[in-house]
Formats: sequence, C-alpha cells, structure tokens
Amino acid sequence: MISSPKRMDVEQARQDLCRRTLSEIQRPLDRLIYLASMRDYNTGVYHHDGLASRFTEEVACEALADCHREAFRELVICPLNELVSQLDAYRSSTHTNPREFLTAWGRLEPYRVAVPVQADPLSAEFLFSNFKIALAVLESQLDSRPAGLAA
Amino acid sequence: MIQLFFFLLIGAALLSSLLFLSRRGGSRVEGDSGVLLEARRALDALQGGLLPEELVRRIFAKDDLDYLISMAAPKSVRDLFVVERKKIALSWIGEVRRQISSLKRFHVGAARSYARLGLRTEFKLACHFAALLVGCRALRLAVYVGGPYVAPRMVGTTAVAAAKICAISEESLGFLNPVQLKPYAHNSLPS
Repeated sequence: MISSPKRMDVEQARQDLCRRTLSEIQRPLDRLIYLASMRDYNTGVYHHDGLASRFTEEVACEALADCHREAFRELVICPLNELVSQLDAYRSSTHTNPREFLTAWGRLEPYRVAVPVQADPLSAEFLFSNFKIALAVLESQLDSRPAGLAA
Repeated sequence: MIQLFFFLLIGAALLSSLLFLSRRGGSRVEGDSGVLLEARRALDALQGGLLPEELVRRIFAKDDLDYLISMAAPKSVRDLFVVERKKIALSWIGEVRRQISSLKRFHVGAARSYARLGLRTEFKLACHFAALLVGCRALRLAVYVGGPYVAPRMVGTTAVAAAKICAISEESLGFLNPVQLKPYAHNSLPS
C-alpha cells in the first residue's frame, strides 16, 4: 500500500505534469500516445527527466502512469464521432499522407501498444474495436473525396 | 462364503465412499486464501472494469450507430460497426456472468467463515445470484439474436443487479480492501 506522503507527492507530480505539459495537449488521443511514448516497452516503467528532477524517478513514474490511465478512461467513454475527429486531427498533426496513415494504422494497429498495462481487458478491447471502426469511417470519407483532395 | 465376500465388498465400497467424501470436504478449505483472492479479483473486475455506468452506456447506447446513419456511412462500415459492437456486448455479458459466478462460488463455499451475514441477507443474495445468472443468459441470447440494442432495459437491470451483488459482497470482503485496486469504484452504478 502506498503511504499517504508518497501519494501526496504523486498527486503533486501529477498536477505539475498536467499544468506544464498535458495542458498543451488538448485531445485525449494525443495524450494517450504521448504518455505511452514515455514508457519503456521493456520494463513498463515511465520516464520523464524534468518531472523526475523535480520529484523522484518513482514518483514521476507513478504520476505518468496515473495520467496515462486517465487519458485511457477518457478515450474509452468517448463517443465514436469524437474518436473519428480526434483520429483525423492526430493524422493531420503527423503530416503524413492520409492513405498511408490509414493503411499503416489498419495493418500495424499501433493503438494496441498505447494502452496502460493495468487497463481492464474489456475496456481495452472496446477501445480497439472503436479504433477499427473510426479508421473505416475515415477511409470511407477519403474514398468519397475527389482524387485531388484525398492526397 | 459368497455372502461374506459380498458383505466385505459392500464394506469396502462404503469405506472408500467415506474416504472420498471426507477428502473432498477437506479440500474445500474454508480459510483458503485462493478463494478469497479470486472473489476479490472478481469484485474489482466488476466494480472497476465492467460496471462503471459510462462504459455500460457507451457499449449499449445507440448514439454511435445514429452517428454513422446520419453521416450516411457506407453499408460496409455500418455492418462492421454492428458486428464489432455485438462482439463487445457479448463479451461484456459473458464477463459479467463469469465474475458473478466467481463471487457466487465464494459465497457458497466460504463466505460464512469471513462474514457475519444474516440469514435474510444470505437468502436475498441467493435470489440475486439466481436472477442475475438467468438474466445474463437471457440477455446473451437476446443480443446474439437481435444485436446489441435489442434489450436496453435488460442491460440496465443486469448492471444494477450486479452492482447490488457487489455491494453485498463488499461487506464480506471488506477486510481485503486495498485502496489502490479500485480505479473506477466511485463511478460504479448505484447499489
């Protein structure tokens, strides 16, 4: 069990992270991807040098994990139309060709590695399912656009 | 001689039955921590992962299908949506049933050792379990045949009944209640 002073530290670190970094990232999808990128895939431990220097490595890791879970929860209960908008906006921010983006996301399913380790399996499956549908929606929108605009 | 052999055979059969029954009774150790942990995990899975109102609403709400219809999505996309949502709905029902069965096993086998539930509460709990497990089967059949939006009231009733069982089970498992294991607990459906 986490003792109360440590929990307080984590809460402070979480607020610090929200104020300095996450407030700049408006969309839950972008936050989910950003926070997943802070995690070492070999160990599952989150790293953030700035946060660790202000607090400790352990506290920073806990705060990042908390925020990651929060972004995941927000995305799971997000309606399909919002998920489609977020995915489209994220695609635009990467400046990749829409067709290439949709093909890569459809085949590689990168969202599968972006969920927190302790995510509830059914919630994770629900989110993956919604991503699949959102990609299909974007693909259909792309198909219906004139060829010049689609690129 | 044959009679003696016959009675000896009956005696041996009775003895081995007694041995079997006593060993079987002994294996159901009333203080088995495995049973407790399984029940605790089931409770956490229900309260934390399966029963939060927002999640249940999202899985079974028609808004997403309405959105696809309103934007005139191609039939292939709408079909994909219905297949995917039906799959998730069936998984949800199956998982709720599995976790409720796990809680039932705990209550049938070990709850008396850990909780001082009154006879009335136990009877109420037994009725809830029976109704919920039958309800889950009926809901599963309905969703399987008619799709995820066929029985919204049944979904609500199932979720509320499961939340009630969780609330009662919480009393029995209160002493195994680590704070950090309940990420969604505050959002669970009202009991």
